[in-house]
Amino acid sequence: MKKSYSLTLLFVFGFLLSIPTYAQQTVRGKVVAQEDGQALPGVSVVIQGTNNGTVTNIDGEYSISVPSSESVLTFSFIGFESQSLTVGSATELNVTLALSTSELDEFIVTAFGISQEKKSLGYAAQSIDSEAITTSRQPNVVNALQGQVAGVQVTNSGGAPGQSARIIIRGINSLDPSADNQPLFVVDGVPVDNSTVESTGTPRGMTNRIADINPNDIETMSVLKGAAATALYGVRAANGAVIITTKKGKAGQVQVNVSSSFGIDELVKKPALQDQYGQGFSGVRDDSSFWPSWGANIAEENDPTYVYQDNWTNAFNTGKTIDNSVSISGGNEKATFYGSFGRLDQEGIIPFSTWARTTAKLSGTVKASEKFNFSGSVNYSNSGGNRVPHDRFLERMMYWSETTDVTDYINEDGTMKTYGNTNPIYDARFATYEDNVNRVIGNINLNYSPTDWLMFSYRVGTDFYSDSRTEITPGPMGIDGELPLSSTGFIEETRINSRDLNSNFYITLKKQWNSDWNTQLRVGNDVFERKYDRISLSGSNFVIPGFYNVSNTTQVFGGQGKSIRRLVGFYGDLMVDYKNFLFLNITGRNDISSTLPKDNNSFFYPSVNLGYVFSENFDLPSWVTFGKLRGSWAQVGKDTNPHILGATFVSPSVFPLNGQVGFSKNSTFGDPNLKPEQTTSVEFGTQLAFFNNRLNLDVTYYKSNAADQIIPVPISDATGFSSYITNAGEIENRGFEIVVGGSPIERGDFRWDVTANLTTNKNEVKAIREGIDQIVVGSQFGYAGSTVTMILREGEAYGNISGSYYVRPDMPEGATELDRSLTQRIGSNGFPVRTGNQIILGNAVPKFFGGLRNQFTYKGLELSFLVDFRAGLQQYDQFGNFLSAFGKQEDSNRRNDTVVFPGVLADGSQNTKEVWLGQGVGPDGVDYGAGYWRNYYRGVSENFVKDASFIKLRNITLAYSLQPQVLEKTPFRSARLSLAANNIILSTPWDGFDPESFSSGAGGNAIGFTGLGFPGVQSYYFTLNLGL
Amino acid sequence: MKFKNKIKAVLGASLILTASACESYLDVNENPNNPQDAPISGLMTNITYETSLNVYREGSAVSNYVQYLASPNPSSGSDTMEPLNFSSMWFSLYNVMTDLYTMNEKAEAEGALQYLGAGQVLMALNLGMTVDLFGDVPFSESFNFSTVTPAYDDDQALYGNVMSLLDQGIANLQQESSISIGNDDFIYGGDIDSWLKFAYTLKARYMIHMKGASGYSASEVLAAASQGFTSNDDNASVTFFEQRFNPWAQDAINNANLLLTGWISEQFIQALDGTSYPTVDPRLKLMVGTTDDGEFIGTVNGAGRGNAPEQGARSTLVEGQYYTSRQSPLLIATYSELKFIEAEAAFETDKAAAYAAYLEGINAHMDMLSVPEDEKDAYLAEPSVSMGADALTLADIFKEKYVALFLHPETFNDARRFDFSYKDMNLPANVNPDLNGEFIRRLAYPDSEISRNGDNVPSVTLLDRIWWDQ
Repeated sequence: MKKSYSLTLLFVFGFLLSIPTYAQQTVRGKVVAQEDGQALPGVSVVIQGTNNGTVTNIDGEYSISVPSSESVLTFSFIGFESQSLTVGSATELNVTLALSTSELDEFIVTAFGISQEKKSLGYAAQSIDSEAITTSRQPNVVNALQGQVAGVQVTNSGGAPGQSARIIIRGINSLDPSADNQPLFVVDGVPVDNSTVESTGTPRGMTNRIADINPNDIETMSVLKGAAATALYGVRAANGAVIITTKKGKAGQVQVNVSSSFGIDELVKKPALQDQYGQGFSGVRDDSSFWPSWGANIAEENDPTYVYQDNWTNAFNTGKTIDNSVSISGGNEKATFYGSFGRLDQEGIIPFSTWARTTAKLSGTVKASEKFNFSGSVNYSNSGGNRVPHDRFLERMMYWSETTDVTDYINEDGTMKTYGNTNPIYDARFATYEDNVNRVIGNINLNYSPTDWLMFSYRVGTDFYSDSRTEITPGPMGIDGELPLSSTGFIEETRINSRDLNSNFYITLKKQWNSDWNTQLRVGNDVFERKYDRISLSGSNFVIPGFYNVSNTTQVFGGQGKSIRRLVGFYGDLMVDYKNFLFLNITGRNDISSTLPKDNNSFFYPSVNLGYVFSENFDLPSWVTFGKLRGSWAQVGKDTNPHILGATFVSPSVFPLNGQVGFSKNSTFGDPNLKPEQTTSVEFGTQLAFFNNRLNLDVTYYKSNAADQIIPVPISDATGFSSYITNAGEIENRGFEIVVGGSPIERGDFRWDVTANLTTNKNEVKAIREGIDQIVVGSQFGYAGSTVTMILREGEAYGNISGSYYVRPDMPEGATELDRSLTQRIGSNGFPVRTGNQIILGNAVPKFFGGLRNQFTYKGLELSFLVDFRAGLQQYDQFGNFLSAFGKQEDSNRRNDTVVFPGVLADGSQNTKEVWLGQGVGPDGVDYGAGYWRNYYRGVSENFVKDASFIKLRNITLAYSLQPQVLEKTPFRSARLSLAANNIILSTPWDGFDPESFSSGAGGNAIGFTGLGFPGVQSYYFTLNLGL
Repeated sequence: MKFKNKIKAVLGASLILTASACESYLDVNENPNNPQDAPISGLMTNITYETSLNVYREGSAVSNYVQYLASPNPSSGSDTMEPLNFSSMWFSLYNVMTDLYTMNEKAEAEGALQYLGAGQVLMALNLGMTVDLFGDVPFSESFNFSTVTPAYDDDQALYGNVMSLLDQGIANLQQESSISIGNDDFIYGGDIDSWLKFAYTLKARYMIHMKGASGYSASEVLAAASQGFTSNDDNASVTFFEQRFNPWAQDAINNANLLLTGWISEQFIQALDGTSYPTVDPRLKLMVGTTDDGEFIGTVNGAGRGNAPEQGARSTLVEGQYYTSRQSPLLIATYSELKFIEAEAAFETDKAAAYAAYLEGINAHMDMLSVPEDEKDAYLAEPSVSMGADALTLADIFKEKYVALFLHPETFNDARRFDFSYKDMNLPANVNPDLNGEFIRRLAYPDSEISRNGDNVPSVTLLDRIWWDQ
């Protein structure tokens, strides 16, 4: 480590010595828009190759000192094409900026919030502007990225208010079943927390913490995908980074923006269900049976009070969202400010599910002098709601009689109204889990530029939140004959405090050597700390019914978990630009992590990337507007979780008992010689534009290998441990990312823009440590031996789902994957024969996915829609498994049918035996017991691992903005009305709820299991935006 | 240049400062939640608690094989004797043995010989329980992380370890100890005399397993038994807690809440209700529940409940009885078990002693259940029960031991030694066809071992017998 210091110092000072001095000259001028000749305030005017610059004032005027007549001024403004002009002898330079027509000249915010011309990047990066973020009105900014960025897969864990969404860039990098694998989120240059802290008991659909940010405050989001893009962020961005830049005030008059929207949510999709059979078993009506729908044919009962209740429609509400925000911004050349308030209230489709978020933000920039500027922001948010036990809700819906109204759930005395089973709505109402998060994200940026080639920058940020959770399950009320939710009642109070501190100091040195060579060097130091503390206190058995306080319980348990993680990084970043067509970028970073053994905790990793704009170097046909090739190679290290090394003792949570506290050896052992993980990635790409930017194409090939994976490897319990955290494997991800965009039509006021993106991903577990055959990532329950497991084996893909299957006599010996086309074996009883052995039934990682966005504008009218899709993946449908066990699926209408299962008997002959599908004694006099679905179908995983592809209309928006001539007659600067619809399924083979919802929250890795989670919703929004 | 020098100085100084501060700044990885070390008394607490639960776990695993319990669902794998995955039970057994290994090491180093002695007795018990179910298992390369794939030791050799651990335990328990066991011991609260009796009782238990195999000596069994338990007061058990209910009680509660479990096998009901034997056993009503109509109706193993509803039509465990009260003791070894061991050991040589021990075994179990004196006397007066020393058969001893060890895993050892010859004990419906019409003889190695330590796991079928069951 000391060695790298001296190297760095040498590097820095070698550079310093070669700085020449300059003469001074002042240039003034005015910047106007080409379209209407109106003055443009807030345009950035920067002396190329330096950090020195200014912005235009309210009248579009600027004044700047330039070192020499050779200086080049770059004028840039978001939404306009940048212009660079050599000063020459001029003292006045007036500039006309044209509206930007393509993303080519786009500036993109890269590591540390540095705005860079996309042209100069040697890696793929994509950015999303504020309109694309807020148009879908998604309360969670992660969802706003859905379908919009190549290489980025966003999945909702469910449709609950405030429920987490998971974002994965270029596949999974860490095999550890509990690894997050999500990118680092950075707000205004400072990383923030996006963890999802799930509930300890039944799933409640908790929030990923980035949802505390109000999307209305966001100016742009850029997605940095590969290790090359994120090398400067180090270990925490090993899975990529999402760089959020919030809105800032602009010089000019004070602007007020008001945005108000109202939305409704509806169940997007439900499985096909039968409505013919009522409560009971074996075809016999029984109004107090546990069995909800194996009973009599409802119509044949001929009882006007005995009807199918359509509970699956009635149990779900229409969700409501009200989202209001107001912002005020403004400033002058010296200082700007931006302030906002936002309030979001959401009610979900499962009764009593709510979430609300209040945000307040204040930010400002001050240019104290030509040499010194600073900015800062504080973001406060309060969020939380009542998280219904959604998993249990759907499970109880499953058990609930189809002939009893589920919405009639409560008696006058407050006890549950039921025929015997627990009513799901009663449970949702009274078994509460409320969270209340108070969070402050603050940062300060200081820039000091003593000369035009040197700048010192310091950013410090904190992200602090407290999360206070209360879970209550009432006990008996003491009323005769009541059926309580719990025989004792339960309360748990949880207090979570988490604090992130980030400090980042860096020095930027710039030098324009001559008209051909331009260089920039940045060196810096980065420090990160996260302190986390969770305390829980639970009590059960309430003494006074209905008085919910831990001290009112007879059994009290407490628990605590805390952690601290610190990281110190040193980095250097050299950018070389030759004649503005060849761009070289070399970075190096050394991280030291508190989580690794002292001997291995310091690790260095380099990256290099090259961009070559060949269109500026060659004479190309005139229809080729722009062409660039890029390539990169990068490494990034990754540390591990804090406090996992070595052997420790634990006190099992059951203690104290009789005043004694027991201890046991922790069954997890962290390798004292653990090394950091290392991901090496290469990327090649090209960016092309044709027909004067009317058509753009961007293609990237990526391959990344994450080696020395830190995995908790399950080992023989007889060793004294069950899990050995060690470097144990390697995974490879590779694929293409293709973005095609263009403006096919641009005539007069009419304009059509289209962007499409497509991503492919292939991955393979390249190696697992010797002596270990397989690593179980997760499993999900299925009845009667249909439980499925996700297992890693060398040479196989990540995401394989294994489970039981029907025997197929022609299956080759040792086959690892099921070939469903082979003929099934039929037993002598006429039913297909299953085997409990596990075989690969599918893979949960989509082979390709993408999106298509179209936007039509005509004067103030705007229609846009985003269609996204994913294909080539299978998921386990636990819900389908339950449906078949309880006779609720549509297919069970066949229960009085007699069929012949196609297949061969043990002797090889074709099966011809007729069997009855129902329960009990069939028409042929044979006793079929619990019937086909319970005895056979539900016990075979194969039946429930199904194609989970979809095409969705992710968003469609129709908007109208008042035209300037109308606005003149109003007090408003701008006014926009829009109607939007989200998450409409256009096509999917999946029979179930929204296949996008998955069972575990966003924080884990066990994908491919869909179960009893909160079902996905489709939503409709009406939004009004006003500017004053 | 002056300016540059200044920068150089400031930068240089700050970087050097950072570097030296760095090391201590980053030294924060010590685990704040889990201690690096634990006191032996804390280990003892968890070990005694978990050992009792291991008895429950094994009892739960084999109660369907010996037909104490039956599944309400047809063709349930535990009834039909399919190869089931006992990974979590295996974990629990090895977890306790790992803690015992650690505690014994510490106790030896600290001269806490009482802890060492008690630890050796419990190590013998947990090891013996593991071997009895699985045969060859890892032990000699275990617990110290010398390898991630520990070898499997021969089951007969491991019985040698069980015996020597018991002998060492008995010796150490009688030594001076630097620390005395106290309330941290959930089994005896530190009563060393009871620990000694417990150790001898276990010796008798493991030696009787060897009957018919090499190294068996009836007189040694009797000698050990004579130093074992002398009354129900000596029983080795953990009494459960207000905060944590007895697991059999929990099963009964769960079943009452329709999480179906704890259904009584027809075999057990019929052994006590006068069907299989001429007498109606007064203990039946104290051990299991009735139907809504007050009848005792068992469930046929492997057949499921048929058309019976989930509640009220079959006998199940019900909360509040001797085995199923929230704070019932979980029995590890009992005086009545020892008496039946004694009866079996004396059977060949001293019928009168065997008969007396047999009667005392019944008597002790009835006392434990608080059977009213008149009912007890009536039962013991039945000629089929008090047949007299000459008429006593091994089958009589096994039958009464079967009742007295209700839900205890030791019955699966007895059943195998007795070739499942209990009266009217039939193979379950839908029995696993791979068993060729025989009863299961062992458990399959758990999936966790096969996937983690596959090269060492012996390849066995459920009919492969462990060493003493030949």
